[in-house]
Parts: sequence; structure tokens; C-alpha cells
Amino acid sequence: MVPAQYYLVLSAAVFCIGIFGLLTRRNALLFLMSVELMLNAANINLVAFSYYWGNVTGQTFGLFTMALAAAEVAVGIGIILVLYRNFDGVDVTNATTMRW
Amino acid sequence: MAGILDFAPAIVLLPFLSFLIALGAGRYMPKGGALAGIGATAGSFVLSIATFFAVSGGQTYNQHIYTWATGAGDAVSLDFGLLIDPLSSMMLVIVTLVAVLVHIFSLGYMNDEGETGLPRYYAGLGLFTASMLAFVVSSNLLMAFMFFELVGLCSYLLIGFWFRQQGPPSAAKKAFLVTRFGDYFFLIGVVAVFATFGSAAFAGPEAFPVLAEEALHGEHAVNTFLGMGEQAWFTVVGLLVLGGVVGKSAQFPLHTWLPDAMEGPTPVSALIHAATMVAAGVYLVARMYGFYALTPTTLGIIALVGGFTALFAATMGVVKKEIKQVLAYSTISQYGYMMLGLGVGGYVASTFHLLTHAFFKALLFLGAGAVIIAMHHNENMWDMGGLKEKMPVTYYAFLSGSLALAGIVPFAGFWSKDEILYEALNHGLGTDGGLGTVFLIAYAMGLIAVFFTGFYTFRMVFLTFHGEPRSETARDPHGFGWNVKFPLAVLGVLAAVTGLVNMAPVEDLTGIHLTFLHDWLDGGISSLTAHHYLEVLESGVGAGLHPAGIGSIAPGLVSLALALAGAGLAYRLYNVPEPVEHTDKLGSIKTVLYNNYYQDEYQVWIATGVVQPISRALDKFDQGIVDGVVNGVSSVSLFAGGRVKRIQTGVVSNYAALLTLGLTALLLGLGLLGGWFA
Repeated sequence: MVPAQYYLVLSAAVFCIGIFGLLTRRNALLFLMSVELMLNAANINLVAFSYYWGNVTGQTFGLFTMALAAAEVAVGIGIILVLYRNFDGVDVTNATTMRW
Repeated sequence: MAGILDFAPAIVLLPFLSFLIALGAGRYMPKGGALAGIGATAGSFVLSIATFFAVSGGQTYNQHIYTWATGAGDAVSLDFGLLIDPLSSMMLVIVTLVAVLVHIFSLGYMNDEGETGLPRYYAGLGLFTASMLAFVVSSNLLMAFMFFELVGLCSYLLIGFWFRQQGPPSAAKKAFLVTRFGDYFFLIGVVAVFATFGSAAFAGPEAFPVLAEEALHGEHAVNTFLGMGEQAWFTVVGLLVLGGVVGKSAQFPLHTWLPDAMEGPTPVSALIHAATMVAAGVYLVARMYGFYALTPTTLGIIALVGGFTALFAATMGVVKKEIKQVLAYSTISQYGYMMLGLGVGGYVASTFHLLTHAFFKALLFLGAGAVIIAMHHNENMWDMGGLKEKMPVTYYAFLSGSLALAGIVPFAGFWSKDEILYEALNHGLGTDGGLGTVFLIAYAMGLIAVFFTGFYTFRMVFLTFHGEPRSETARDPHGFGWNVKFPLAVLGVLAAVTGLVNMAPVEDLTGIHLTFLHDWLDGGISSLTAHHYLEVLESGVGAGLHPAGIGSIAPGLVSLALALAGAGLAYRLYNVPEPVEHTDKLGSIKTVLYNNYYQDEYQVWIATGVVQPISRALDKFDQGIVDGVVNGVSSVSLFAGGRVKRIQTGVVSNYAALLTLGLTALLLGLGLLGGWFA
């Protein structure tokens, strides 16, 4: 049996990749992908602990999270479309009208 | 069976009804609502007489009518109630009688002279009478205070009746503000009475004078404040209430409003000076005399203020040119006598003077009103003269009032003023220590004032009615009808005979019982009787007065001689065909007297020279320091917010970076504290 720590390390690695993408990229689509990575890192944790404790609740939550991620992508794509229409591109640093 | 006393509320409500009628329907009625006023006050007068007889049969009435607020756990309740005892029933008769005569006289003074705004005038008179009557029958101090204020308001409305002219509105404002200044202390006094005793009733089981007396006997405790003992605290409370009295009764130094109040219509002056407004102050002291009798310091101050005012006002009356001004100063002076009498323990004497003064001063004002009608509203005595032949009824009535005012035997004023002076001398000689000295000083001032009173009264009479006419109008005076003569005749008789109810010197001389007013004020509710007050005054816990037991004949002769000397001097100087202004010989003293000792000037100076700079400084403090702190806090917040808001760049990557940094910092912090890296 694979020990739980490995899963956690994997999850942490995926999460960090997601954060790295979030901090370095300016493309909104890449942003969305990075967020998906972070979400899945959390999912891995849920499933890993569920497996570790022999309790299916975590896995159920994982399934829910996937459905939620799908919905989130739909919303995110919609926002990106609007961004593109208003700012002629998908560079998130151009959209700075929502400040002070 | 319903006794006559159950109708007592109607005495108050009838004039109030006439106020409503005159206000609402006066313009559609003949005589501008005067008839409603006359009817209502006459009804009140009849009821007051009936009440008077019921009280003389031994009945009293102390009835709670309405509670309009109660404190937590019924600790304090604020009530309206009626208290009818010998004092208030006597006052009811005085007020209603003077009110009805003033209403009748107004027919001649206002209606026949073609004044406009009569509904407003009669509405004012009605409300004035109603509030004074309600004040008289008040069963507690708070209710008394409320109607005291209402009386002040009505005087404001009536003094400023001719509001289109220059003088009356400002005189009205002055009267209102000056009396309000005193009432402010009265209000604090009312609150203090409630805080001390939990009740402000004048009579009954919770009467505060009785509670105060018991507290001084050590029978139960009351709340005192500022760490004072009971005696000292009662003195403070007494002085606070006295503030209102000094304002309303026009005592020094708050007397300045009264001469200016002459700007109002003359019948109003008669009402204000004889029966309402000014009488309210003295009546209040008499009403709660059981309380004042406990505090010698307050009594001393009342006596001194009264004696000083009596003399002070009398000297100013000597030089005045207008007939109403002379009367105004005589009013201040006479109320000074009443205060003197109350201060020296002469409760009956003062009440007696209140009674006689109400009649003769109403008479003098109405007589002056008749003269003013005759003179086409010229009030200057130097334009009069020789009116005796042309208006005999007015002359003899006015003479009767003048003899009473000057204190010439056997007219009313002699008996009452003399009794006050006798009480002052008697208690002044008998009482030990400083209080006795104070009484003697007050007595001396009162005695000197008798001379001045005799002088200015007869100076006024001779200038007005004797000698040769000094102007065209005096040669051919304006006539007037029964409605002017009738009140004068009634009051003229009363001014001559009222004194007979209480002739102490004659009783001393002959041994026949003649002091009926003493008996009258000894009846009724036991804690409000004259002999109870005397017991308190002479007891150890009270003021500790002692009568010297001197006879009343010699002091009476002294004051009579002084009054006659004053009148005689006036006779010598002014009862000539062509009198001249002898007061000019006084030189600069006359200027000072004519300018009322510059009282107005110094009070204006206090307002503009002292109070205004203080208010300016306080305004600066408010605008600068208080508002400055508030404004400072807000501008610091604004400035800080203006800087800190730069964090919100709108660039989503920055937010993400900050979130990540925050998360990292949180993890590091938790890790360090949790010892993960140990």
C-alpha cells in the first residue's frame, strides 16, 4: 500500500504548480487552468485521506468537487469572454478599472 | 351630596372657557368677546365667594385630580390637584374680583377707544386669569410651577398687545426673559424638592414642608446633596425656589421688567400688578411658608431683599413723570413690604398686605387708566393738573387708593403695612444674633420707605388732580361711561374698608377682638395654619424667632407720622396752582433716580460685557477644541484611507500574490509557534 504521505506530497506539488502558474502568467485561460490544478490538489487530499481512514465521505466530496469544478470552468470561461470583449484581449493585468 | 367645593375646578375652567370662546369666536361676537370674559370671571367670582363661605364653615378641599406621570415603583408621582384652604380661597376671591372689574373696565378702555385685536386681548385676559387661578389652587409645587410659567407667558402676550409699536414688544420680551431667568432657579428648586422629599405636595400626608420639619426633628431621613446637612440643604432649596419669586414679584435685582411692562394696556397693568403675575411670587412663599419657616438664612435674605426693594423702588418713584411709572415703582415697593413681612415671620401681615394691596393697586391702576382715557393717552403728569373738578368719581376713588397706598389711617394700606413693620420690629428686637439685626436693618429700610411712599403718592395725586390744568387736553378731558366708573367705585370702597378686617393696633388699644384675618388664616388644614407657622418659626429646629412683645401702637404711630410727613411735604410742594419740578433740586441724584440707578444699563452691561465674551470664549472652545478633535479624527482617517487604498491596484495578479504571501506568512507563523522546525 502506498503510504498517505506520498499522496500529500503529490498534492502539495500540484498545488504549488498551480500557484506558480497563477503568479507568473497573465493569460486568463492559463489562470483558469492553474486554479483547476489547485482545486485538484485539494481533491487529491480528500481522496487520499478518505482512502487512509477507510471512509468514503471524502471520495464523495471529491466527486462533488469535480462537478463544482466543471460549473466553475463554465463561469470562468464566461468571464474570460466578457474580459476579451471589453479589454480586447485576455491579459488579466489590463483589467484594472475595479479599483479605488 | 356634592358640596360647593366640588365645583372648585369650575373657578379655573370658566375663564379658560372664555379664553377659548374669545379666541375662536371673539371676532363674531359683540364687544370682541368681552361679554364672555365678563360672564366667566363673574361666574368664577360667585363660585369663589361660595367657596370662601364653605371654607369659613370649616371645610377644606385637597383633591387629587389627575396623575400625568409616575416614577419607577411609584417613587414619585406628578399630579394635578386642587388645594382649597383659607389662604387660597381668600386669594381666589381677590383674583376673580379684580379680574371681573378689569374686564368691565376694559370695555371702557379698549372697546370704547376703538382698539383693534380685541378678541386677542380678551383671550389673553381669560387665559391670564385662568392660569393665575390654577396657580392659586395648585396642590403641589410642580403644578404651581407650570401655571407660574403660564402666567408669565400671558403677561408676555398682553404686555406686547400693541405689537406694531416700538416699545411694547421689547418690554414684553424683557418681562418674559427677566422672569424666566428667575424661574430657571425655581425649576431647579422644584426638581430639588422632588429629589429631597419624593413629593412636592403643599398639604396632606406627603406635604414637603411637614416632611422637612420632621427631618429636622430627626424623625426620618431625607436625601440631601452636595454633602450638606439638612438645614443647609433646605436653605439651598428655599433660595432656589426664591429665585422664581424674586423674578415674578419684581424684587431687586430682577425688578427691571416691571416698569417697562407699563407699555401694555392699563387694565392689563392693573391685573398684573394687583392680582396676578406679581402677586404669584409672594403667594408662592406664603403657600410654602412652612418650609421657609424652617430656614433662618432664607428668612433673613427674604427680609433683606424685601426691605431693600421697598426703599429702593420708593426712591425711584419720587422723580418719575408718567403716572403709570410712579405706580409701577410703588408696586415693586409694596411687594417689597410683603417680602419683608414674610421674611420677618409676619405671615398673616404679609397676606393681609397682599389682600389690601390687590384692591388699592387695582384701583390706582384703573384710576390711572381713567385719567389716561381723559388725557387722550398722554401719561405725563406735568401735562395734567386740575382734573379734580372734571372727574370727581375718579378723583375720590383715586384718593382713596392713594391714602391706602401711603398708609394713612384708616385706609386699608395703613393696617397691613403697619402690621408688617410691627412684625419686623417685634421679631427684630426679640430675636437673638445676626437674624435679629438683619430684621432691624430691613425694618429701618421699610420705615424710611414709608416716608417716600407718602411723598410720591401725593406728588402724583396733586400733580394729576390739583392745581391748574397744564395742557389743552387737561382743560377739556375726554369723558367715559359707567364701565369705567363702576370698577373704580367698587374698588374705592374696598380700598377704604378692607383694612378693617385686621386692626391689630386698635385691638391693642381697646381690647376688643378685631384681628379677624388672624382667625381666618388659623383655620383649615392644620399644617397650613398661621399658628402652626408661628410654632415652627419659634421652635428650635425652625428659624428660632422670638417676639419682643412690644405693643403695636407706638410703631404704628411712627409709621403713620412718617407717611403723613411724606404726604405733607408733597402737599407743601405740589398742591399749588402752578407746581414746578422740585425734584430738580436733587441735582445729579435726580438723574440717577430717573435712570433707575442705571439698573438696566448694568444688566445690559452684564449681558454684553460679561456674558457675551464668555459665550464667545465657550463658542471658540466648542468650535476649536471639541469640534477640532472630531474633525481631526475624521481628517486623519481620510488621509490614511487615501494612502492605504493604493493597495487596491485592480491587477488580479497582485491580489493573488498578496494572498499567497499572506498564506505563506500564516504557515510560517503557525509553524514557528507550533514548533514544526524545532
